[in-house]
Amino acid sequence: MSGIVCAIRGGPSSQPTIDRAVALADETRLALHFLYVVNLGFLTHTVTSRVRTISEEMRQMGASILLMAQTRAAQRGITAQADVRQGEVMEEIAKLCHELDATYLVLGMPGGEDEGNVFTQVRLAQFREQIEKETGASVILSEESRA
Amino acid sequence: MSKRFWSWTLIALLVAFSFIVLVSSRDVAAEDGASSPLVTGLVFDPQGQPVEGVQVTVVALDQGDQLGSVVTQADGRYALAIPGSVPDRLNVELERAHFENKQIELSPASIQSLKGGQTVVMSDTTLSRSIGAAFWLAAAVFVGVLVTVALGRLHNALAALAGAAVILGASYLSHIVFEGLYVFDFPGALGYVDWNVIFLIMGMMIVIAVIERTGIFQWLAFMAYRISGGRIWLLVPILMIVTGVGSAFLDNVTTMLLMTPITIQIAMAMGLNPLALLMPEVMASNVAGVSTLVGTPTNILIGSYAGITFNDFLKNLTPGVLLALVGLVVYSELAYRRQLRQGSATSPMLLEKLAERARITQPNHLKKAGLVGAGMLILFVFGERIHLLPAVTALIGATALLLWIRPDIEEMIEAVDWTTLVFFIALFIVVGAIQEVGLISMIADLIGRLVGDSLILAMLAIVWLGALLSTVVANIPFTAAMLPVVGYLTAIVPGAQNKALFYSLSVGSGMGGNGSLIGASANMVTAGITERAGYPISYLYFLKKGLPALFITVGLASGWLLVRFMLLGS
Repeated sequence: MSGIVCAIRGGPSSQPTIDRAVALADETRLALHFLYVVNLGFLTHTVTSRVRTISEEMRQMGASILLMAQTRAAQRGITAQADVRQGEVMEEIAKLCHELDATYLVLGMPGGEDEGNVFTQVRLAQFREQIEKETGASVILSEESRA
Repeated sequence: MSKRFWSWTLIALLVAFSFIVLVSSRDVAAEDGASSPLVTGLVFDPQGQPVEGVQVTVVALDQGDQLGSVVTQADGRYALAIPGSVPDRLNVELERAHFENKQIELSPASIQSLKGGQTVVMSDTTLSRSIGAAFWLAAAVFVGVLVTVALGRLHNALAALAGAAVILGASYLSHIVFEGLYVFDFPGALGYVDWNVIFLIMGMMIVIAVIERTGIFQWLAFMAYRISGGRIWLLVPILMIVTGVGSAFLDNVTTMLLMTPITIQIAMAMGLNPLALLMPEVMASNVAGVSTLVGTPTNILIGSYAGITFNDFLKNLTPGVLLALVGLVVYSELAYRRQLRQGSATSPMLLEKLAERARITQPNHLKKAGLVGAGMLILFVFGERIHLLPAVTALIGATALLLWIRPDIEEMIEAVDWTTLVFFIALFIVVGAIQEVGLISMIADLIGRLVGDSLILAMLAIVWLGALLSTVVANIPFTAAMLPVVGYLTAIVPGAQNKALFYSLSVGSGMGGNGSLIGASANMVTAGITERAGYPISYLYFLKKGLPALFITVGLASGWLLVRFMLLGS
């Protein structure tokens, strides 16, 4: 067990998640990895041929989102790694947890039952159970931990 | 040697294309060498439109023999030769699916004329519509496709393809199951497909695929930031102009796909909510696309149907679009004034990264694409003088570009959005079905009665109907269905022959896309990307910001249309 994985998608709702992961890294002295997953499922109902074109742009956008997270961590004295991947969000998070033999996985809590959000409450609960069972990593939900 | 070879190949190809175009644009006059006496006439529908495909048969009444049969042409005309001796009593029988059959007995005077070897011109015949099971089937399928596309339950192409399959399947099974379900046969369905539209879209997709990989949009977006000097109030209109120009000559979806990620990064670096930049951008994209023939799929449909050229769009719509864009800039600055004031926390590290990435990745390709693009623009503008169709210009441009830069052809073929082309083909068939069974004529008749003889009323009705309906139904099927309606109104409303009503449809359906999230594909892809950056755009959010923009832009553009066609004249 050797690290903390923090999966984010950017925006104001990711800030508590980033802060929670940074605080945890500070507390445990474990290496912190931020993860952004490029998922282009939204193109499947309109412009399927554009997937190749947009992939690189989305990767760069993900890198910028992670750079902002790294900067925030650095302000607290934590040096974090960043990883942009492409594919199904849950699969890619699970893969990185396996690869890094993660001790903790920090995720944000979904704000509501928004269909556009990969993590609805139900899916998140199932995913948490699956990750803890398969990798042994403890899943921390940022809103929950703050409460 | 290789360069020289490809140069000559390119020239040969262009010459060959030009020759084909010139030859194909000549009218071929049909010659009729028949010497028998003729019965000729014209057949119209209740709206006074010519009816093609009416089976006209001449029957000898006393013997009951069929003496001959022909089918009416696209202009509703028929000419039937009477072979041998002419009987004393003749009936002309007219028969066509979705119309009531009609029989007309020739007068004794006409019989005498025929016996004397003269041609008899029948008085114009109007066939009444017959509303049966096929009518309801076609109407239900069309509504089903509209609803499925609007709800996003199926891919657009799949929804339209399913609709076309149901109509054709029912037509072919009608002989076994129930004859009343027959709409049209396969050749009849293909007759409604506008291949000019398909090839124009395909050609432009290839050109766009080359341009989009050069990094031009990312570079332009970062330049916009540099030019603005970090002043957000200035950055908004500059980004709107960049997006608008891109959307006028390329397609809106590609423009927004490329502009959205870089705009989000610029906004993040400036500590801004990205939606304060992106909403004005996507709305500018929807508005500016209206200014050219190739700016939106709806304009491509309208241009091809009504024979409106690239120049016509520029001349008649661009001033209105510019007016609408000015209104949109003012509205955007006001609507986002709070968010635009908040941006201050710049991230030098992120800006440095963006500056590093903001470069033209394929300068050589961009140069060549620019030259070919300029050539295409010249052909779009001046091609009408030699009756050069825009689809041919797009194909020539796409082929020249491919030959010149020699990209991976597999990648280029992949870049063509085949699903969109399938969507258009299937949609033409579905819309053709409601045209075939008479639903379009009924709608046209109804609107015609409502607007009466007033061109102003007709223009305003089409602009606002188009704009408001485009917020709830996808604007491409809507426009495709409205074309014959507008064609009918153009024929009956006094003064509408200048095609003012088609321009009204262009403004309504194009700018109407700003009214809701589902109003335009560009809105949907922008929302898809922002959601993945943590800034979701909900349906209600878009409605709140987009609906006022719709009223402002459509109001200003329709004001221009009235000035252009009512005050300045044709």
